[in-house]
Amino acid sequence: MSQDSLLGVSINFDTSHTVFPTIIAVILGILFVAILVTRGKTMLAAVGNGPWWPVGIDHMRFFGTIAGTVVYFLAMPAVGDLFPNTGLGFYLCSIPYLFGMSVLYLHERGRKQLLIAGLNAIIAPSLVWYILSELFNISLP
Amino acid sequence: MTGLFKTLATAAGLAAMVATPILASASELPGNVRMVIGSKSTGGDTYQNSAIIAEALSKKLDINVKVDAVGASEAFKALERDSRGTTIMIFHDQSYLAHLYGVRGYDDIFENFKVGPTVAINPGNAYLVAKNSPLQSMEDVIAAAAAGQRVRVAIQAGGVSEIGFSALKNAVKIQHPGAEENIVPVNTGSQADKNQLLFDGQADVINGSVQANEQFTQLPEDDQKAMRFIWLTAREETIAQANPEGMGDTTRDELLAFTTPNVSVTMDGEKDFTFDKEFFLLFNKDMDPEQIATIDKALTEIFAAGEIQETQKASFFIPNFKPSAEATEYLKAKREDYRHIIDAIATN
Amino acid sequence: MDLISILTPLFFTLVAVGTVIGIIFGAIPGMTATMAVAVCLPLTYSLGLENGLALLLGLYVGGISGGLVPAILLNIPGTPSSITTTLDGYPMTMAGEGENALKIGIISSVIGGLISLAALYLFAPALADFAIKFSYIEKFLIIFFALTVMAALSSSLLVGIFSGVLGIFISLIGAYDISRGGNGELRLVPEFLEYYLESGFSLLPVLIGLFGLATILIEAENGMPEGQGLSGVKIAKGKPFRLSVFKGQIINLIRSSGIGTFVGILPGVGGSAASILAYSQEKNFSRHPERFGKGEPAGVIASESANNGLTGGALVPLLSLGIPGDSTTAILIGAFTLQGIQVGPLFIGNNPVTWDAMIIAMLAANLVMFLVMIFAIRHIAKVVSVPKNILFPIILMMCVVGAYTINYGVMFDVWTLLIFGLFGYLAHKIGLEIAPFIIGFILGPSAEIYFVKSLESFGTLSIFFTKSWIAVLLWVLIALSIGFSIMVSRKTKKMR
Repeated sequence: MSQDSLLGVSINFDTSHTVFPTIIAVILGILFVAILVTRGKTMLAAVGNGPWWPVGIDHMRFFGTIAGTVVYFLAMPAVGDLFPNTGLGFYLCSIPYLFGMSVLYLHERGRKQLLIAGLNAIIAPSLVWYILSELFNISLP
Repeated sequence: MTGLFKTLATAAGLAAMVATPILASASELPGNVRMVIGSKSTGGDTYQNSAIIAEALSKKLDINVKVDAVGASEAFKALERDSRGTTIMIFHDQSYLAHLYGVRGYDDIFENFKVGPTVAINPGNAYLVAKNSPLQSMEDVIAAAAAGQRVRVAIQAGGVSEIGFSALKNAVKIQHPGAEENIVPVNTGSQADKNQLLFDGQADVINGSVQANEQFTQLPEDDQKAMRFIWLTAREETIAQANPEGMGDTTRDELLAFTTPNVSVTMDGEKDFTFDKEFFLLFNKDMDPEQIATIDKALTEIFAAGEIQETQKASFFIPNFKPSAEATEYLKAKREDYRHIIDAIATN
Repeated sequence: MDLISILTPLFFTLVAVGTVIGIIFGAIPGMTATMAVAVCLPLTYSLGLENGLALLLGLYVGGISGGLVPAILLNIPGTPSSITTTLDGYPMTMAGEGENALKIGIISSVIGGLISLAALYLFAPALADFAIKFSYIEKFLIIFFALTVMAALSSSLLVGIFSGVLGIFISLIGAYDISRGGNGELRLVPEFLEYYLESGFSLLPVLIGLFGLATILIEAENGMPEGQGLSGVKIAKGKPFRLSVFKGQIINLIRSSGIGTFVGILPGVGGSAASILAYSQEKNFSRHPERFGKGEPAGVIASESANNGLTGGALVPLLSLGIPGDSTTAILIGAFTLQGIQVGPLFIGNNPVTWDAMIIAMLAANLVMFLVMIFAIRHIAKVVSVPKNILFPIILMMCVVGAYTINYGVMFDVWTLLIFGLFGYLAHKIGLEIAPFIIGFILGPSAEIYFVKSLESFGTLSIFFTKSWIAVLLWVLIALSIGFSIMVSRKTKKMR
């Protein structure tokens, strides 16, 4: 690697994609070791003293959000594929998703709250879909 | 999983509601067509060209054609996934040149897709030097290399920007065997970076375009930014079709001074090398041939009407319509020419 | 055509409409100024050059400015250039000062916009000539300078820098981009993900994942308590707004606007670097650096005047070199090519009327932006009183829209949103710092290109010190910046 001087470096274009990632990986490694050395003990102590995740969190809302979002993301392109280039995949999937999430996050699920959640779930995606997909002709799933 | 959603949605009767009017007969195109392009830029020539074609097709076929600048790799993926004619693509010579150069992610377009009609040429591919450069012409460049002087050429690797460079290297190899190693690439990215390398004196020659660099050629010599054209790769007859005003303050006749035969970069010792950046459509391999015929027919009528040519020329594009079958043969032959050059300079 | 015949009521209406639409785009998490300009670009074809530009410049100014709203009220930067606005803007909202923070942000925005506009109008060609003195080497050093900010933004120096370097590392995933000068080879990509990660992770989905989705996940974990944290804030609680917050901020305003303008002028450095640099410089120069990140108005001022300073700056290389200064002006260039107008070093001289019309459009856009936002503030600020069960699902949906549309329809970008939402949640749990991470992620690819290309051209590391006086000056600034950060970090440690 070294040329005439100590600081000389020659880089071959064909392998130049590895130069910077290697440097960054090395720095990252050094920093990681430094963190372990300076804080290893506190970190170990923190791990040793439970309670372990996910104890003490709102399981229904947390995992519900993740699961709902995954289903939403899977459903969008699938439904969208039935009506290509219309953005309907987004529109048709957003309504149940929004309603589901709204209800999930509610604390008291009275008739009034459900009605508001339902209205919101219909109005918001309709507006977004109409403005973006129909007026501005933006591609949606 | 995805099957489940399809069933659900279909069961809900939604499909019946919306999908039916889409496909009335086999030869008809869907009502909503997505035209993906091989460029991520909405300010570039690919987008501009595609917008012109998309609008003409929308009007002609009374459908909605929408251009999405997703970039080459996403565009190829989108096209591969969809054989219903709802996704079509526009790209240029980069699509097969990158494959010839062995760029990762580019496969043989003639094998993986159906090559559709060509629509236009961007005749602007150019090579420039600093205005105060001792190199006055391509002859000087070749002579300098023959005399053992390193000539650094700023290009973007693996495609349209590199093909002129490869041709130059090949020409030097033919005329002065061994001297071609004095033609060295400086691999860089955008036009801004190429210009900057010239301003910094880190490149002797840069790849550029008539559109992007013409104003720099009008600057006085003492300006650090001043440049000079030394070569346009387009065919003489391509530039000859441009509007007589040319581009900016450079007329068509002035541009013609930089094309073959006034500037000669030989391809095989006899013929001069030329390169026209051509835009063409690409289709999914399994797309219905009748749909392709519909597009061919529509474009034939659009070009016969003659209006689109004016729009193209106003933006410094040269109209160049060839229907699918003709375009495929033509582009295949074009590829073979360039394959020959790239192979020639690779085997030393 | 002369200027007067161009300045029709339609011209100003288009500026105003553009500005308002831009503000809305900027204010919705996930939608950006760039997107607003891209969406409206096709409309300009029929409007003609000057009227088209009036609309687009309005969108540009409005879009950049609107980004401060969700940054301050929801801790979600509406555009990448308002990341640093969240750092002090959101703590102010939490303390009931949301409306004041918005006003401070808006006033700073308009001042930044006007200062940069003046610079554009008076010095564009000279600034462009100065900008081309910055080669790969100086650009790398500017980025390195911006990266030193990671230290200033971290609560723990070591963890902060680790987070930042991790951000750089993750930004390098994918192909070494050919269009920026790389060789197109993949790195850091596991084989089974090659199909998806060819172009790596996109910035916008990463950003809204880290700030938007992650925040919602943390709230969900806590069971979405109403009345605390996000959206539980009483707006009326804060002190009434007084212009006196700006007392002693004149230098900050000028410096930050100047940094914004300057970063905009340098093509390839990236707009987000502007507010990051300005914020950290203000923190370094401040007499109370320990207040930053806890609701210091000076932080909002620095960030917002810098990102609007960008608007004028980014137009300098566009109009005097034909080269866009940031992602939005890269789309703006399409408005010229669509009309068959060349932009390059002769543009201003050849098209004096268009040039004047653009300056007037920018001026008008800044004023409209100011008036619209300052009057709408009361209503905008009510966003935080919308119940979470309504607000959060809408934010989630808009994040999806933003992620999907940023690259004109790539589904993987939507998954990126989820991946980085989970990553942000995890980072929060294990104590990684998000601000340095995202800065590393934003600046990583440019740092790589300029570093590797410098070495490719010159073959020696010493070139970074010997290239030019600009390089030497930048090293002095870098050294000062690092020195200050260490000093500040010591000081705050002692105070604890």
